[in-house]
Amino acid sequence: MFFKYNAKSKLYKVMMWVLPVASLVALLGLYLLSVQTNPLVLPSLPQIYKSFLRLITTPIKGATIWTHIGISLLRVMIGASASWVFGIAFGVLIGWNKTLDATIGTLFTIIRPIPPVAWIPLIILLCGIGEFPKYLLVFIACSFGVISQTYAGIKLVETQAVDVGKIFGANQFEILIHIVLPAAMSSIFVGIYDSIGNGWKVDLAAEMMGATLGIGALVMRAWGEMDMAMVIVCIIMIGITGALISFAMKQLERLLTPWNR
Amino acid sequence: MSKEDILKQQHQEFLRKKKRESIRYALLGLAGIAVFLLLWELVCRMSFVNTRYLPAPTEVFKAFIFKLSNRSPDGNTLLENIWASMQVAGLGFVLAIVIGVPLGLFMGWFEPFGRFINPVFELVRPIPPIALIPLIVAIVGVNLQARALIIFFATFVVCTLNAYAGIRSTSQALINVAKTFGAGNFETFWKIGVPSAMPMVFTGIQLSLAGAWSTLVAAEMLASNAGLGNMLNCARKVARPDIVVFSMVIIGALGALFNAVVRFFEKRRLRWKKSD
Repeated sequence: MFFKYNAKSKLYKVMMWVLPVASLVALLGLYLLSVQTNPLVLPSLPQIYKSFLRLITTPIKGATIWTHIGISLLRVMIGASASWVFGIAFGVLIGWNKTLDATIGTLFTIIRPIPPVAWIPLIILLCGIGEFPKYLLVFIACSFGVISQTYAGIKLVETQAVDVGKIFGANQFEILIHIVLPAAMSSIFVGIYDSIGNGWKVDLAAEMMGATLGIGALVMRAWGEMDMAMVIVCIIMIGITGALISFAMKQLERLLTPWNR
Repeated sequence: MSKEDILKQQHQEFLRKKKRESIRYALLGLAGIAVFLLLWELVCRMSFVNTRYLPAPTEVFKAFIFKLSNRSPDGNTLLENIWASMQVAGLGFVLAIVIGVPLGLFMGWFEPFGRFINPVFELVRPIPPIALIPLIVAIVGVNLQARALIIFFATFVVCTLNAYAGIRSTSQALINVAKTFGAGNFETFWKIGVPSAMPMVFTGIQLSLAGAWSTLVAAEMLASNAGLGNMLNCARKVARPDIVVFSMVIIGALGALFNAVVRFFEKRRLRWKKSD
């Protein structure tokens, strides 16, 4: 592997285009090979395509795959937007007030390491498997990130900037609104962008643990019927949706925080 | 008294004040925890909430004693469950780091190699590992290897991509210095590239740890007959909220412990970073 190559040669430039394509072709070949050796479990490409066509035309549980994805996304959006309001407020409180940081901040640090997925059984016990428990779970999962980022952003504000405010006679509230929050903004935004992706993953887990609608429930249904073609279609759709979410969030970030560009 | 003595005294006073303050806040933290537990206990005792669904802290502690020796409802004692989870986590997580980090470093340093491997990673990166549970279990079966493979996947992608990004950001000036002093490509890679990628590598390990741990819990809840996630899910099925909450506490505590271990190694490995 330690061969020498000339980065300016023509061959090198061609290779830079050929290699990624070769990689994807190799991956596809690898998959086809494993289908050959294991035809009972792994579906062939035409089977996957047929399953995809079936999913977008025939409703399952009264919803096509687009509706299932839409339902999942709606749950994520509701839980996440609630978490932004709560998370920023909570993060500001424990980031700004040392007494609150020492009391409820400590409690937060203790609860924080529990993975959101581990909350699912408790929430199912407390609230059942309707819509509200999903919102609640996404809310919990997203809040953790938003709170941490808000807290970190406030802690990282330069003391000099705060001192300038004090010298010019600003009171605590004015310092918070005019100096600390604007400085912490980019960190808070990071928390908000990450929250959608996290919420998506946790919502998926929640739907797999108990739901009738949503893309996670669809995967579980396919798994229960051992319909591997459908499982793979769902996984691909989940991946595409996740990629679109992170793409949209990046664009939003560029739009909202032009100073970071 | 000389000026220096006065300064020294003031400094000591300042340190003492700081220490007193930190003790005060530590006590406040303990008080906060105590008040929280007390309120929780009271809320349950006064039956503001149904204790069939939310157990009091004392019940949770009793569940801990209970699970130490009792196998119901999930078929394993606490230690057996912890051991089962650790086996899966250890196998998947450690293998992923051992394979993923060098792979990422090579991908970043030897460009054609990176070009070949990277598209695969871009393709699988957006898929949450939890979504792969059905596929992997269908292929491998409900066993330790399947769960380890899921954890492997959850760790591997993040670790590799962070190592890749880390070594890509190696300063060109340092590389040029090494070349000027006659180092070969491999020597430059080993002595310049790898050390300067290390902070990013550790970031990747730490990031993937949280993901791997929660994926493990999900995998054990969905497809397992042992482990902490299984204990959690079985407790839900038989409506034992005390064991549910207790499992959450144990899972959180172990997660925090692993995080502390990674941080410890990071600090030791990156001691040189303090000097700049």
